[in-house]
Parts: sequence; C-alpha cells; structure tokens
Amino acid sequence: MPETMDTQDLAFQQPTAGAPKGYRTPFLVRLWKESFGYLLLLPALTIILGLNLYPTAYGIFTSFTDQSLLDPNHYNLIGLANYFKLFADPIFQLSFLHSLELTATAVGLQVVFGLILAHLLIQRVPGIQLFRSLAMVTWVLPIITAVVIFRFFTLPNYGFFNLLLTKVGLSQWTRNWFGDENFAFLLVLVMHLWRNIPFYAIAFMAAMQAIPQDLYEAARIDGATRWHRLIFITLPNLRYIILVMVVLHVTFTFNNFDFVFLSTGGGPVNATEVLPTYIYKQAWSGYALGYASAGGVVMLVVLVILVTICRRVIGGYETE
Amino acid sequence: MKATHRIIVYLGLALFYLFLLGPMAWLVLCSFRTSDSIQSGHIWPALSELTLYNYLEAFNLNNFPQLVGNSIFIATTVMLLVVLIASLGAYGLSRFPLKGKPYLMLASLLPQFFPYVLVLVPFYVLMSNLSLVDTHVGVILTHTSITLPFALWMLTGYFNAIPRELDQAAAIDGCSRLAILFRILYPIALPGLVVAGFFAFVVSWGDYLFVSILSQSNSTQTLPLGLQSFLQSLQVKWGLITAGTVIAIVPTILFFAVVQRRLVAGLTAGAVKS
Repeated sequence: MPETMDTQDLAFQQPTAGAPKGYRTPFLVRLWKESFGYLLLLPALTIILGLNLYPTAYGIFTSFTDQSLLDPNHYNLIGLANYFKLFADPIFQLSFLHSLELTATAVGLQVVFGLILAHLLIQRVPGIQLFRSLAMVTWVLPIITAVVIFRFFTLPNYGFFNLLLTKVGLSQWTRNWFGDENFAFLLVLVMHLWRNIPFYAIAFMAAMQAIPQDLYEAARIDGATRWHRLIFITLPNLRYIILVMVVLHVTFTFNNFDFVFLSTGGGPVNATEVLPTYIYKQAWSGYALGYASAGGVVMLVVLVILVTICRRVIGGYETE
Repeated sequence: MKATHRIIVYLGLALFYLFLLGPMAWLVLCSFRTSDSIQSGHIWPALSELTLYNYLEAFNLNNFPQLVGNSIFIATTVMLLVVLIASLGAYGLSRFPLKGKPYLMLASLLPQFFPYVLVLVPFYVLMSNLSLVDTHVGVILTHTSITLPFALWMLTGYFNAIPRELDQAAAIDGCSRLAILFRILYPIALPGLVVAGFFAFVVSWGDYLFVSILSQSNSTQTLPLGLQSFLQSLQVKWGLITAGTVIAIVPTILFFAVVQRRLVAGLTAGAVKS
C-alpha cells in the first residue's frame, strides 16, 4: 500500500511542477501544502489521543495507586498491591472464570450457528431476500431493549415462555428464569447469541458468495461429498472473515458490560458476575478506583492474549 | 429432491427466525395490551384488550419526552460529528503521504480493543476536571470518542477503494483539496458515510455504560437509563416498559431499513480486502 501513496497526489504538486528552475516554494506555502494531510487528521487524532489513548494510559497508571472516587485528586502510589489483592479476591476469580466461559462458548456457538444460517441464506429459494434483509435486526437494537425483550419473555408469571410450558403440560418446569442460579448464566449466553448470530451469518454469506463456483464444480466432478466441499473449499476460503469476526466478538463479548449488568446485575449470588460488571461495581459502588483499574488492566492483558491465540489457531492472516 | 431441499431450507430458516423475531414480536404485541390483559395469562389477547394506553402513559410521564429528546439530540449530533471528523481524517490517511501512517492507523484501531471499564475511571476524572459531567457536550464527546476509531478505520478503507484518477482530474480542473473531499469523494462514498453515521448513531443511542456515569440528572439522561430505571422501580409496570422499549427500538429499525443493504459491506470494509 505505501508504494502507491507517493505517486498518488501528483496533481497536488502541479503548480510547482511548471515553475522555473531554481525556484523554491516559499516556506509557508510549503508548510501549508505538506501539513494539509496532518491538519485533516488533527481533529480525529486529538479525540483518539485525548479521549482514548490518554485515559487508557492514565487507567494503567491508576492501577498502581490507591485512588478513591471519594477524593480522586489525592492518592498514593502503592505498587502492585492492587494486583496482589485482586488475585486473592475470590469473586474476582469467579468473574474471571465466567468471562472466559462466556466468551469461549458465545463465540464458538456464534461461529457454528452463523455458518449454518449463512448456508441457509445463500440458498436460492423464493423469498430468501426477505430473510436476508431482516437478519441483522437484532444487532441494531440497543442492548437495554434486548434485555427487556428477554426479561419480559421469561417473566415468572405471565412471560410467554412459561405460558407456553404450561400450555404443553410442562408447568413443573416453569420458573423465574433470570432469578434462577442455574439458568441466569445460560440466558446471558442466549442473549449474546441472539444479538450476534445474524451478523456472523450475513458476513459469512457475503464471503461464501465470493467463492468461485468452479471450485465446487471441479470438486463435484472429482466426486467430493457435501462434507468434503465444506471442509476443503468453503471453510478454507472463509478463514479470513472467520478470524475477523472471532477477534471482533471475542473483544466485544469479553468487554461487554451491558448484558449482564442490565439483566441480572451479576446475580443471583454472583452466578452471572463477569469482569466488566465486577470492576464497574468496584469503582462506582466501592469507590476503589485504583483497585478497579487494576482489574481493567488484567482484562486488557487477557484480551491481548486471547486475540493472539485466535490469530494463531485460525490463521488465515498470512495468506492475505 | 428439489422439493425436500426447499422444505429443509425453510424449516431451518423458520427455526432461526422464530428464535430471532419471536421474543421481539411478543414484546411488541404486549405493548398494545392493557396491563390486565398482559397479566391474564392468555397468549392471544381479545380484540377488546388492545389499546394505545401504554404509549400515552409513557409520553405523559413527566420525564419521558425529555428522555426521547435527549436521546435524539445526542445520537444525531454524535452521528454528524463522527461522519465529519472521520471523513476528514480518512481523506488525510487515504490521499496524503503522512509519516508514520501505519502507526496512525494502528492508533486509530487500537482503542476498539480497550476494555471500557478501564477507560471509564480516567474518563470520569477527565470530564469532571473539564466540568463536563452531566452536560450534553460531555456525553456527545464521549460517544464521539468511542465510535470515531472504527468510523475512521472503515472510511479510510472506503476512500482507498475510490480510484485516485478522479481526484487528480478534479485537481487539474482547479478543485481545491477540501472541495475534492466534499464534491468528489462524498457522493461516491455516500454508502460508506451512511454506514459510519448509522454505526455512530446506534452506539450512541444504545449506550448505557458511559451515560450512567456521566449523567446525573434528568437534563442529560437518555432512553436506556430511563428504561433501566423503569425496570428497577418497585412495582414494575410492564405495559409502560414494553411501550417505552418499542419507542426506543423504532428509530434504529427505521434507520436500519435505510442502510440495511450496505451495512455488512460497510462494517467489514476494513476486513475484506480487494
């Protein structure tokens, strides 16, 4: 890419190109010309540096202090104390485990179901266009509304799900699903699937449509079965988009605060507590900003490791 | 064979879409039912039980219209700001020889991976030092900062795909460098701009986390906060909540209907290489 950059704006140099030999463009004119690209980037860069990178760096710094929300301007450096405390904290360990569990199962299932739905959506059956255009509806909704939808659907007394169970004679199965220790976590997982599977499906579908059809023709002539075609043609060709979607959603799921906080608040009895909600509570209910930041740094490190693992396992990047 | 194939496809699609749309349909249906009807334990309401009362009640709550107004104002401003700032930056990254361009691109994508809860604390301290807590400006700046990196990355990909001969020709015809962006690139990249704007709008519209720490009064609260407080009230009024939820959903769905075709191409623009 960089090679093309140098030749591309010949047109912008047009005025000086025709100037007499020995003529030097005045300094200010040159500065204006050469800095124009940077000027364009200035607002974006200011926001990214000032409101993204700086707060993150400051957050890393805060993790080595005992800063409190009650008096954020006075704090002491306390070294790694927050980290030692964190690793000895049983609820932090539990949240850590839940976060990993949720991320792994959600992303894994999303890839599988995304592939299945994508496979259905590329079939040329009448009305398929309608299904395609409706697909991403769940992804654009605010998370709070997704939470309301699921809480309302699973209400103990008059939620659709329990009504249905009663109708088919399974009334002993009805329960307060979000309030049940054994099911709350499952519901959080289901909400993640509900929101994201269509996004995977549509992205995979677009990539599937880009695979040259003659590959399949050739395979068919060679007598390859459906499974062979899937494993040896479709999946290898989807490698890159799978990597992109997985990395995107590992980040999204691992960092996601809203689903758990808004649906269960981490309960019942910490059954759904994940790192973002636990850290949030440490900062805004426990006032322990330094401690919370240390948790945030751990998340950042884990995320880097997870993304690296994904790249290693799925590969595909090198082939680009 | 062909018929069975079709049946299997439709059956599979039916299962998926029942899961995706079923819970949503139930909520929409119940938002038009009286409270008694919702609590009656019947799945299908009688015709006489249908009502617009929940919607009227929502808009008669003294702070609800303000929540809607705040949400619309904030999300729209964020959308416009992000599209403007990101397109300027993307134009710079795509068309000008900048030193350290790969690092600039990396710096613009990196924040996408930072845990929000880590950024939250310094963010709050920063905003309170700037006296921007509980102001529209504070919330708008915040939402702009969380959506800008992705929009910048995406639009750079979009601009890179537009042939450079176009702007060179315009430059020779005497078009200024800024005019090239607005007159030549904007019309061609319109689908990309719309998707970037849509992304910013949806994130801002749905954000709970940042608004929850930055907003401390009715004057800056948005719909997600309002819905959450309805959910937490002692006596949960489901009629009101379902209606409020539908109101929060409608704008995103309308916007989605407009951009739907472009959405995936746009969202994966940085990812799918030509």
